[in-house]
Amino acid sequence: MPLITNYFLALTLDFYILTQPLIVIPDKFLMILMIVRVRFHGRGGQGAKTASRILGTASFVEGMNVQDSPVYGAERRGAPVTAFTRISDSEILERGYVFDPDLLIVMDATLLASPVAKVTDGIRKKGAIFLNAQSANIIGEHYTLPSDVRIASYDLTSSAMEMLGKPIISSASAAAAARLVGLVKESSLEQAIVTELEEIGLSEEMIKKNVMLGRKIFSSLEPLELATEESEKKLRIVPLEMITSNDGLEDIIAVGNSKVAKTGSWRIFKPVVDYEKCTACTVCYAYCPESALILRQDGKPEIDYDNCKGCLICYRECPPKAINIEREVIAF
Amino acid sequence: MELQSKYKTLRDVPQIDYLAPGGSLCAGCGGLLAVRLFHKVLGKNVVWVNAAGCMTIMVNYPLVPLKSNWLYTAFASAPAGAQGIRDAFDILIRKGKIPESEDLKVVVLTGDGAAYDIGLQSTSGAIYRNLDFYYLCYDNQAYGNTGFQVSSATPVGSATATTPPVPSEPAGNIQKRKDLFEIWRAHNPPYIATLSSSYTVDFLRKVEKGSTFKGPKLYISLAGCPTGWGYDPRETIREEKLAVETGIWPLKEAVEGKVKHTVVPRALKPVEEYLATQSRYQHLFNPVRRKEVIRSIQEQVNLYWEEASKREDFEIKLVNT
Ligand code: SF4
Ligand code: SF4
Ligand code: SF4
Repeated sequence: MPLITNYFLALTLDFYILTQPLIVIPDKFLMILMIVRVRFHGRGGQGAKTASRILGTASFVEGMNVQDSPVYGAERRGAPVTAFTRISDSEILERGYVFDPDLLIVMDATLLASPVAKVTDGIRKKGAIFLNAQSANIIGEHYTLPSDVRIASYDLTSSAMEMLGKPIISSASAAAAARLVGLVKESSLEQAIVTELEEIGLSEEMIKKNVMLGRKIFSSLEPLELATEESEKKLRIVPLEMITSNDGLEDIIAVGNSKVAKTGSWRIFKPVVDYEKCTACTVCYAYCPESALILRQDGKPEIDYDNCKGCLICYRECPPKAINIEREVIAF
Repeated sequence: MELQSKYKTLRDVPQIDYLAPGGSLCAGCGGLLAVRLFHKVLGKNVVWVNAAGCMTIMVNYPLVPLKSNWLYTAFASAPAGAQGIRDAFDILIRKGKIPESEDLKVVVLTGDGAAYDIGLQSTSGAIYRNLDFYYLCYDNQAYGNTGFQVSSATPVGSATATTPPVPSEPAGNIQKRKDLFEIWRAHNPPYIATLSSSYTVDFLRKVEKGSTFKGPKLYISLAGCPTGWGYDPRETIREEKLAVETGIWPLKEAVEGKVKHTVVPRALKPVEEYLATQSRYQHLFNPVRRKEVIRSIQEQVNLYWEEASKREDFEIKLVNT
C-alpha cells in the first residue's frame, strides 16, 4: 500500500508531523474529570461537520462543556472529512485533533479501506466503533481490533433516503453518537438538531424530517457508557517526527501519480458497460472529465474503477444506452 | 483559405490523455473536462501557468494528475508568470543552451475570477506586449473554489453565496456579466474563441486553429459546475449544450479581430429550458415565477443574436417574449 498518509499535515507543519495530541496543563488544574472524545469520519457532503456540531450542542444543552471542530483538506465533495466532539463535565483543556477517541462514528463504510482516512487509529481500550452499515462484520475484514472495543451498526443512509430523500446523515449520525455516549436526552438532541439546521438555512420542513430521523435512530440504539473518568496527564511532550519526501509517497516525482488517491471510493453509483450493446462510438471517452475511461483495441471503453468518481456523465451520454448503473455497496 | 482540420467527428478526439485520474476536483467538473480536451490538442510539451482557482486543487501535492508541467502563481499574476517562462525559453534557445525541440507551449489557466476580475490587468499587459502564449479561462461564472461567490462573470439572475435571493433583491445577482471576449478583442490579439466541451469538434478545431498564430491565443470555455450551479453531475454535457442551444453561451471566434459565430442554432430554445434545470436559478421559478427577470434574460439573448445575425448575415429564429 502506498504511503500517502499525513502529507497534508506534513505540508502545513513544514515537514514535521504531530504524532500525539498537544496537551499542556498547569499543575493547579489537575483533577479527576469525565471526558468523552468522539471522532466522526465521513465524506464531504454527508454532514460530518454538522453531526459533530449537533452532538456538541445537544451535550451543551445538558449542561456539559463541549468542543467541536472539523478538519478537511482542499478536496471536493466526496473526499474524506473528519470532525471531533469533546464532551466533559469540567473545563476541557485539550485542543485539536482527537487522536485517541472513545467513540468513532464511521459514516461511510468505504472509508474503512482508505489509506488516508485511517479511521480506527488510536481507538481507546473499551472504546466503541459505530459503522453506518447494516452489519459491522466488514470492519473485521479491514482491521484487527482489540477485543474490548465494542461495535455497533445501523444503516443510517437507507433511513435518510427513506425519510429525507437524500443520503445526508448529519442528524442521523449525531443521534447515533448521542445515544451511544448516553449523556444526552432525546429532547436535548431534538433541540440541537433544530438549532444547528436552522443555522445552515434548512427549510422548516426539512428540519422536521431531520428531527424525525434523529428520533428514529436515537430509539434504535442502546447506550454503551463510554464516558471515562481519568486524571489528566500533566504535560505531554509532543515528539515531532521528521518526514522526508520519500516517506510521503513512493512515487513523489512520477508523472500522473494522483492515481494512488483512488478516487473510486467517492462513487455512490457505478457505471457498468454492456459490451453487447456498445457500438464503440467513443462518446463516453470524449466526455469523461476524469480520464477514468480508456478505449480498448476494439474501441469499446474500459472503466478504471479505482479512479472513476461516478459522475455518470458516460451513462447519461451513451447514445445506445449501453452503460448501466449499479448502487455501489463497498468500493474496495 | 480555411485550415483543413484534423478534427471532424467525436472519434477524432485524440486518444492520449495528459491528465491522470485521481485529482481532487468535484465529480463531473466541466472545467476539468475543458482542460483535458485542450491538452489533447496541444500535446505534451506544455507548461500550465495557473492562477488560484478550482484547477489549483487539481494538483494536491504531492499527488499530481498532470503529465506535463505546472507553475502556480498568485491570483493576479498568471500572465506575468507566462511572460517569464516564455522569455526564458526564448533566450535559452537563442543562446543555444537548449534545443528548440525542448521548447514548451506556455498556457495560462485561470477561472473566471482571475480572468474577469483579479487578473484582468496582467492579462491586458500580456496581450499588449503580444506575448506568444495561450490563455484558457474555464468560466463557471463564480468563485467556485471558495464556495461560489459572485464574480464579474456571474450572469443576471444567478444566486451565489454572496448574492442570495433576498426580499430586497429577489432576483439574486443583478449585475451583468462583463463581456470578456470584447474586452480582449479591443486589444487586437490574433485569435480569441469561446468554447464548450459539449461541442467537442468545434472546441478541438479552435485550439488547433489558434495554434497557427503567433502571439496571444485566448479562450473562454464554459465550465459546467454541478456543485455551484446545482445540478446532478451527470448532466454537465447536457447543461453546456443547453447553454449553447438557448443562445446563452455563443460559440464564436475572432481572427485578427474579425468575429464569426461558429455554431449558430437555427432556432433558439427558450432560456428557461436552461435556467429551470439549475438550483442557482430556482428562485426565478419557486415559490413564484419571476416573469420579469426571465423575460429580461430572454430579451438580452435575443438582442445579442439579432445584432450578430445582422453583422454576420445569418438567419436565426429568436424566442418571442
Ligand atoms: S462515471 Fe464519470 S468518472 Fe466514471 S467513467 Fe463515467 S464519466 Fe468517467
Ligand atoms: S458511449 Fe456507449 S456505445 Fe459509445 S463507446 Fe461508450 S459505452 Fe460504447
Ligand atoms: S466547484 Fe465547480 S468548477 Fe470547481 S471543481 Fe467543483 S465542479 Fe469544478
